[in-house]
Amino acid sequence: MRPTAGDYALEALAVPECLNLLHDLLEQVGTDHPELGSEDLSMFETAIIEIAGNVVEHGRPPGRVVFRFRLHVFDDRLVGVLVDSGEALDPTLRPGSMPEEMAESGRGLVLARVMLDEFDYRHTDAGNTWTMVRHRS
Amino acid sequence: MELTRTSPAGEPVAVIGCQGRLNMLAAPALRSFIEETLGEGHEKIVVELSGTSFIDSSGLAALIGGLKAARQSGGDLRIAAPSDQVRSVLRLTNLDRVLLPHAQVSDATDGW
Repeated sequence: MRPTAGDYALEALAVPECLNLLHDLLEQVGTDHPELGSEDLSMFETAIIEIAGNVVEHGRPPGRVVFRFRLHVFDDRLVGVLVDSGEALDPTLRPGSMPEEMAESGRGLVLARVMLDEFDYRHTDAGNTWTMVRHRS
Repeated sequence: MELTRTSPAGEPVAVIGCQGRLNMLAAPALRSFIEETLGEGHEKIVVELSGTSFIDSSGLAALIGGLKAARQSGGDLRIAAPSDQVRSVLRLTNLDRVLLPHAQVSDATDGW
């Protein structure tokens, strides 16, 4: 299926400030696609911010990881692919189950997963590839 | 993000307003702001979220940290007026059980 309109791309250094660039990009998507449900867009935004936040926090070497993010708007779904240059993700950091209520960490990737219909992480020659899909309601 | 505080002198209740995105960039400031508020003797805190357009797991962690600190001081932390995104994130993380979303500040302070 072809995208209904142009794709979006962003390349940035994985530091906390990059999150605002992603928020701005999602805001632009919402402006360009007023037909997109606000819940679909905000849940997708949450997933992207959690994944990028994870790269910022845990990417190695710290402060030197670069990522490329592409977003595609299709008639039936939103697809995001983030590729970062960091070392392979520590297996203990991969999403498990939601931590207990008073925990102050460990929710990010679990939250991203529940916001998405498809979530895939793999380490390839290109780097860490995070694929996120949300079906439009 | 912009943080504001309304706290009548001599009252234990303080209302903290968060305007903007409560993400990894903003969460440390909210943590410090809550600590300061508790340090000044306002151990009952309402975080008013009507102006918070977005929250992520870092923002949630700052609220949970604030809740724990408030309880250790013999008080509590409650939240009021969350937007749809904040409400969804609270529900999906099961945190709406410990951070029950109140419709408005006056509902949150009910019983204090």
